[in-house]
Amino acid sequence: MSCAQAAVKIDRKLPLLKLRARPLRIALVGNPNVGKSVLFGRLTGQYAVVSNYPGTTVAVTKGRALVGAEVCDLIDTPGVNALDGELSEDELVTRGIVTGDDVDVVIQVVDARNLRRGLMLASQLATCGKPMLLALNMIDEARSHGIDIDSAALARRLGVPVVETVATEGRGVADLRLALSDAVVPSIGFAAGREHAAWAHALASEFRLERPRAGGRAQERLGQLVREPLTGLPILAVVLYLMYLAVGVFGAQMLVGVIETGVFKAFINPGAVAAFNRFVPLPFVRDLFVGEYGLITMGLTYAVAIVLPVVATFFFVFGFLEDSGYIPRLAIFSDRIFRAMGLNGKAVLPMVLGLGCDTMATMTTRILATKKERLIAVLLLALGIPCSAQLATILGILGGISFAALVTLFTVVLGQMFLVGFLAARVLPGERSEFILEMPPIRWPHMRNVFYKTALRVRWYLGEAVPLFLIGTLLLFALSRLGWLAAMTRGAEPLVVGVLGLPAKTAQVLIMGFLRRDYGAAGLFAMAHGGQLTGAQAVVALTVMTLFVPCVANFLVMIKEQGARAAFAILAVVTVIAIGTGAGLNAAFRVLHVAF
Amino acid sequence: MSAGDRGSVVQVLRDNPARADRLTALGVTPGAPVRVLQTFPGVVFMCDHTEVAIEPAVASAILVEVSG
Repeated sequence: MSCAQAAVKIDRKLPLLKLRARPLRIALVGNPNVGKSVLFGRLTGQYAVVSNYPGTTVAVTKGRALVGAEVCDLIDTPGVNALDGELSEDELVTRGIVTGDDVDVVIQVVDARNLRRGLMLASQLATCGKPMLLALNMIDEARSHGIDIDSAALARRLGVPVVETVATEGRGVADLRLALSDAVVPSIGFAAGREHAAWAHALASEFRLERPRAGGRAQERLGQLVREPLTGLPILAVVLYLMYLAVGVFGAQMLVGVIETGVFKAFINPGAVAAFNRFVPLPFVRDLFVGEYGLITMGLTYAVAIVLPVVATFFFVFGFLEDSGYIPRLAIFSDRIFRAMGLNGKAVLPMVLGLGCDTMATMTTRILATKKERLIAVLLLALGIPCSAQLATILGILGGISFAALVTLFTVVLGQMFLVGFLAARVLPGERSEFILEMPPIRWPHMRNVFYKTALRVRWYLGEAVPLFLIGTLLLFALSRLGWLAAMTRGAEPLVVGVLGLPAKTAQVLIMGFLRRDYGAAGLFAMAHGGQLTGAQAVVALTVMTLFVPCVANFLVMIKEQGARAAFAILAVVTVIAIGTGAGLNAAFRVLHVAF
Repeated sequence: MSAGDRGSVVQVLRDNPARADRLTALGVTPGAPVRVLQTFPGVVFMCDHTEVAIEPAVASAILVEVSG
């Protein structure tokens, strides 16, 4: 080509460096599961947490992206299915962001396999009046599914740039950066009025070619196996057993054993005790840190040696199941049961998460559609779902006694949950939403993402748990010093010993269990290992503990999510049920001479 | 319809507007190809390339022309 031609060619390829008063602000918008967060990570170099279920990107993620020589502000929005008409909370938030003054240009991320849905959203996005361009993501997966899209022609028809990307591999991201300067406010080519669906359908048919599929049958078959009850329930049993092995055996027994015995009992605690005895003259301060209720000997030990390994293992397994697409499929089985409790299958998400941490799960109840569902879910989480450390204790203590003990506890707890849910659904005003849930594709998770998510969750847990453990220990220290602990224990004794048939010390454990549920569980563990509980007593104690009030962190989140009145009401209901059930079990065991 | 049946969406009834909107947003719109994957215990179908699970009551709102 001639010099002039070459010059023009080079000029057009140079990214436009504009002199701006402030950085260019780019918003990422798209349906759920299209790879927005992955693209965000690619553009900013920052790893954003990627999850499959709705309501995950609860807060809006912001970052800085380098476009050519410019640094731009990038905003990741929650996945949405609509931006026009009746909108959910996530959708309202996103629409607010996009139409507001804080966004200059919008990149809509479209899943190439779901072009029709993407175009439907694009048409609605066009009504927001901002310059936009489309990132046609997962183009590789689409091709392997036999879908070919003529993106150049599509771009011409729409009048906005369409860039093919494979966000997970970083392909097309450079082109995306270049295309930003070409973003325009769509006017022609998009649907006038509200016929988004029909327009999208017509356009998709025109620009998408489907070849007969080569592979991918295996993925569908796997989905079928997981979903159908005949194969799905055995698979669930296997998954639960593997979870037990990972969390209960590896986490609770092996890791805890190593850390508690090997590190804390052998080095840290004796070392701390020795150091304090030598250097600190005040017995008060010594006791505070290394005494019976010492911040180091009790607070830190429980947090790091006993709870952390279990919780970390749980989060890892949960992250794996999340990313593989398994958890939403559990919603299909459980939908019927949940509907009887005034919820629907979607509630399986917070419920399973509650097995890791009830506090986190209570926050996740936001994904449920109606107020009534959220209230029932929070109630049931507080009532019956044991968090992972508690679960580990249950398995550790009862597992060592007999299988029958374990089964008894779970039957009673699940039974109570069902009963309470059933009644709550009838008594409380309001509606439940209908079960309509998208199933993300089943796939082997990206392990790096699973590790990263686990690390994030563990970090959150540590930031929340350790301070509360220390506060709990402090409180226990204060209570014991003031003589109040002895007084409270004595006061609760008639109830604990007489009605529940448990040793007096259990009262203290239950009280401390409120400050930190796993704390109480650890105390019970110590009692059981010290041979202070019979089999039947262990079952009663653990049943009461599981049904009993949530820990302080959970209670605080309950107040935040449901309001103080509801939170206290739940507290009262749960306490009554816990003690009542314990009393009933105790009586039944004695009368029937049950031993484990 | 039963598992394995194919067809295309004719109409999504609007007697329950919230339900209809949610279905539409997921791509269940007139003309969309449908393949039923499961009917018990829950209804699961593939609409275009989106896999959707619904409760039986919702299924009654989706009118499909069966083709195979």
